[in-house]
Amino acid sequence: MKRRDFVKKAGLTAAGSVAFPYILPSGRLFAKTNAELADHVLYVLFAGGVRQQESVLQQYLSGSQNVDIGGNIMYNMLNGTPPDKKIVYGTTPANEPTGSLPIPQLLNTTIQSQGLLFPEVEAVNGGHYGGMTSLLTGNRSTAQGLKVRPNSPTIFEYLRRHRGFKASDVWFVGSGIGNSFPLLNSSGHENYGTEYGANFVAPSITFGNEGVEVLSDAKIYHPQEELEPIFKMREFLNNSFRIKNGEVQGIRNDEDEKAHIKKFIRETFIKKQTNGLAGPPVQGGGDLTTIAYAAEVMKYFKPKITVLNLGNVDGCHGNFSGYLRALHRADHGLGWLWNYIQTEIPEMAGKTIMLATPECGRNLNPNPIQDENDWYGYDHSGDANTRRVWSMMAGPNVPANMKVGSESNQIGKTTDNVLTIAEIFGIKDAVLGAGFMDGGTKSLFDRI
Amino acid sequence: MQIFKYKYLVGLCMVVISMTSCKKDVIATYDVNDVDIEDKSLIKDRSKSNKQFISILYTTLHQKAISSNQLIRTERVIESFGDKALINEVIVSNYMNSGNVVMPTDEEMRADLDSFVTDTYKLFFVRIPTEIEKAFFVNYIEANPNITPELVYTAFASSDEYQFY
Repeated sequence: MKRRDFVKKAGLTAAGSVAFPYILPSGRLFAKTNAELADHVLYVLFAGGVRQQESVLQQYLSGSQNVDIGGNIMYNMLNGTPPDKKIVYGTTPANEPTGSLPIPQLLNTTIQSQGLLFPEVEAVNGGHYGGMTSLLTGNRSTAQGLKVRPNSPTIFEYLRRHRGFKASDVWFVGSGIGNSFPLLNSSGHENYGTEYGANFVAPSITFGNEGVEVLSDAKIYHPQEELEPIFKMREFLNNSFRIKNGEVQGIRNDEDEKAHIKKFIRETFIKKQTNGLAGPPVQGGGDLTTIAYAAEVMKYFKPKITVLNLGNVDGCHGNFSGYLRALHRADHGLGWLWNYIQTEIPEMAGKTIMLATPECGRNLNPNPIQDENDWYGYDHSGDANTRRVWSMMAGPNVPANMKVGSESNQIGKTTDNVLTIAEIFGIKDAVLGAGFMDGGTKSLFDRI
Repeated sequence: MQIFKYKYLVGLCMVVISMTSCKKDVIATYDVNDVDIEDKSLIKDRSKSNKQFISILYTTLHQKAISSNQLIRTERVIESFGDKALINEVIVSNYMNSGNVVMPTDEEMRADLDSFVTDTYKLFFVRIPTEIEKAFFVNYIEANPNITPELVYTAFASSDEYQFY
């Protein structure tokens, strides 16, 4: 090749690579912008409004009920000794007071010791839906209405669009279908939207009594003799109808993914009937059931990202003792789940980063509602205490046994988590470039 | 003087043009019937809500209305899952396994395929099939002896058109 030709072709190649986006076989428009830090993420939207006082500050009753008893009731996640008096947060042995037996610690090393704790973080929104929307979009969501999809893209959409993940790589396991939670699996943004949304499942319903009635007896059709003709006929019908892409609401898996998910649904019902479901040692419905099914989802699909929403703690509005029990159980369930990933899912063991953050805190002062122990309940109506939460992270490439910030030195905000996950999967710059992050949001790795 | 001459000439031209240019249209008739070139029954642009979908589906398959309790429970299950198309297929399949679906037998279907296809289009899509649609299904079912009414019903119930009205 002549020198002149070489220079000309090299120049054109360089210009082309700058001018045009890098379209990969997966269909995504942008190449990774940083090295990946882990293969999988478990992102826990921890409970439904958690006070700093009973969680990370370990004040038990001293920070709320004028009873001078402190202690740590989340001893799988946090370092610290449990309370030694007035135990109401555990299980209830026969003929003993309610909640008087603490659940034994499952993890030899707490998640705090395994990873990174931000003990004082700003919750950018004091409500459940707004708070969760912020945790999933990285946006303050001040103009967000209820009963509509988030205005800004969610982490699911960023990962599917910019990282090329399939729908079945991306799961949102919800605690229920109230509070518009099913709408959080994608935004309504025109450039993202349901096309890039996550698979959502609320296991307490899908696999609960209603699901048993409506889904559990579904046939599994023979792939060649029955499914193939169904697909062929449906393809003809759909070609005749020809609706525009996106007009059918909700996310869509491809036919292979659908077959895989249907098999999962069937196998899960069988496991349920034969008591073969995995689950934490202490059962009891609510969050622990949601955690058990999240484990089944992770074992079956090995998702790139699993978002797990817990919500029992919200009972604190009218039952402070129940709130303590819910916190203790969420800690137990999460400790079990983290251990389950490391021991029962080899494809994810040592390759998964877990993040956990409450969507909001709760008020500093109680409401007048008293529970069975005459303890007062707490709402979350937006005072300064409601805006205080914590964040925690553990897994590969996460510094171990490190604390960043303190009660008097707030570092980080709840919107940071989206950018942190984007960094874990190598698309931080693409997500920042999309322009929806709340001002001042940083990856937690950049906060260290 | 010269200017007045041109004025008269222009005025005369305008009168001639206006008298010759505007003519009433002649309506030609060719003795052919008016035909809609677009099938209006195919214009379904409103997506069924979960409640509408499930109550219509149940009635279509069982030939009777769903109870309100069952409707609410089924609607909650649909809401509990992100991929609506997928979960609807599972629900259809669950109905098919219940043994309560009203549909022709395989022999009845094959005895009169034309009627079966037309009836199926009317049942699910509330319209008659076009000739192309009818031809496709008749030929496809004839060529594939393992196709049953259940498979045809499942394809219709899970099609895009069935999600709209």
